[in-house]
Amino acid sequence: MGRIIDWARNRSPWILHLNCGSCNGCDIETLDALMPRYDIERFGILKKDTPRHADILVATGPVTKQMAPRLKRVYEQMPEPKLVIAAGSCASTGGVFHDCYNCHEGVDDVIPVDMYVPGCPTSPEALIDGIVKLLEEAGQDAQAERLAEAKPEIVEEGARIDEAVPAADESTAEIDTDDNPEEGTDEPEPVEA
Amino acid sequence: MSLELDLATGLLYLLVFPGFAFLFAYGLTAEFLDRKLYARLQNRVGPPPLQPLADFLKLLSKESVVPDNATARIYNAAPLTGLAGVFTAMLYIPVWTEQAAFAFEGDLVVVLFLLSLPSFSLFFGGWYSGNVFSRIGTTRTITQLFGYEIPFFLAAFAPAVAAGSLSTSEITAFIGANPWYVLVLLPAFAIALLSLQAKLERIPFDIPEAETELATGTLVEYSGRKLALFRLTKDVELVVGAALLSALFLGGPYPAGSIEGFAGVAAGVVVFLVKTLAVIALLTVLKAVVARLRIEQMVSVFYRVLVPVALSQIAVVLLVGLYTEGLIP
Repeated sequence: MGRIIDWARNRSPWILHLNCGSCNGCDIETLDALMPRYDIERFGILKKDTPRHADILVATGPVTKQMAPRLKRVYEQMPEPKLVIAAGSCASTGGVFHDCYNCHEGVDDVIPVDMYVPGCPTSPEALIDGIVKLLEEAGQDAQAERLAEAKPEIVEEGARIDEAVPAADESTAEIDTDDNPEEGTDEPEPVEA
Repeated sequence: MSLELDLATGLLYLLVFPGFAFLFAYGLTAEFLDRKLYARLQNRVGPPPLQPLADFLKLLSKESVVPDNATARIYNAAPLTGLAGVFTAMLYIPVWTEQAAFAFEGDLVVVLFLLSLPSFSLFFGGWYSGNVFSRIGTTRTITQLFGYEIPFFLAAFAPAVAAGSLSTSEITAFIGANPWYVLVLLPAFAIALLSLQAKLERIPFDIPEAETELATGTLVEYSGRKLALFRLTKDVELVVGAALLSALFLGGPYPAGSIEGFAGVAAGVVVFLVKTLAVIALLTVLKAVVARLRIEQMVSVFYRVLVPVALSQIAVVLLVGLYTEGLIP
């Protein structure tokens, strides 16, 4: 049953696009990704207009102080399970608005982020790749959780479940992680597309 | 013994064919074909074949939120009533023979009523979800309902006048016996096609959804399970509406209806699928080639153009019936 649900979730990600004070560069590129040229309906991706229907929040821009409570509210309106993509340099780190008096430093200052897609502006290919990779990762996490539930004896104490399940080679895991994880607040292993 | 047999066949009709299981599968398939054809017309690749099933299962497994402002009881009941309505409507429409699963004199009126239940369930669900966007969407749904229901009813009564009966099965049998009536009823078929498109709230009549203005309108607060049921209602309504049109205007299982035995049933089902898919393809092409109308344009087109055409269609049917009495056996 869990496997069927994972299959369905992986094949039907509906996205909600939210501008949190971006310069519009990333927004134009995000809308480019929705064009017939890239045809993201091949992956089952649809753009939705209301947070209630969405699975993935694509947030752009460095989250101005005025936008922060609204971003949080939109995030809370999305039904579980939900994922967040920070699209563009500003959304990932604050970009050129770093240390600005009126801005937060990226989306992860306000809400937890699952995937950072860099670029100024981010390219449509990178965004689509980010969504597909994020779903792959979420599917692997869910698979590991199911396995851990079925066989609790293979989960080691204190270790993350998906590290304990396969004989994880630490070298590749290190490369995948963000260089300076203290930038993000609460996500242990942010992954770059 | 015969009572038990009746019960068994009745349950078979209700649950398997042409009831729940068949409509579920065919509705999702029809949604896929609709989206695929739409994508091809826009020069895209389109979704994979199991996409509607994946959407449905994903929505079932998601959290289903009830907003604070909503009236919870009506908000929760709305998706179920619409779905029940369209599933029941299918039982009175002929599928593989000229006789429907259940039929009585006047069941056409029941089918037309049951097919307008989804619009009312949308209205109640949207109005009581306590969101401004969904309230604007519901007022548009109801305004549009008054626009398309009258031409749809008039168009559906044209074949009923021709057959002299209000039973869907008898109308299908009549059209099957006099196939040239398909040509006479062509204007009524076009009107019913447009009204069905408006009933399904698809482009050019997707004014209540209008994602650029209203953020999906009535369904704005629905999520998870309830949204899945609303989407399934739309899919099944598409199939049932296409089946009704094929039964009323295209003669239902006409060339295959007279064959006896198992081969007849199989041929009837094939004819049914071909005719309904043709109607769905027409609706999809219409969706792909035109843009959205405004609400007052839509109502004025339906009242000023389609209602007079439907009325004159009924007059034409009466005249044809009068003057060809001796010519056609």
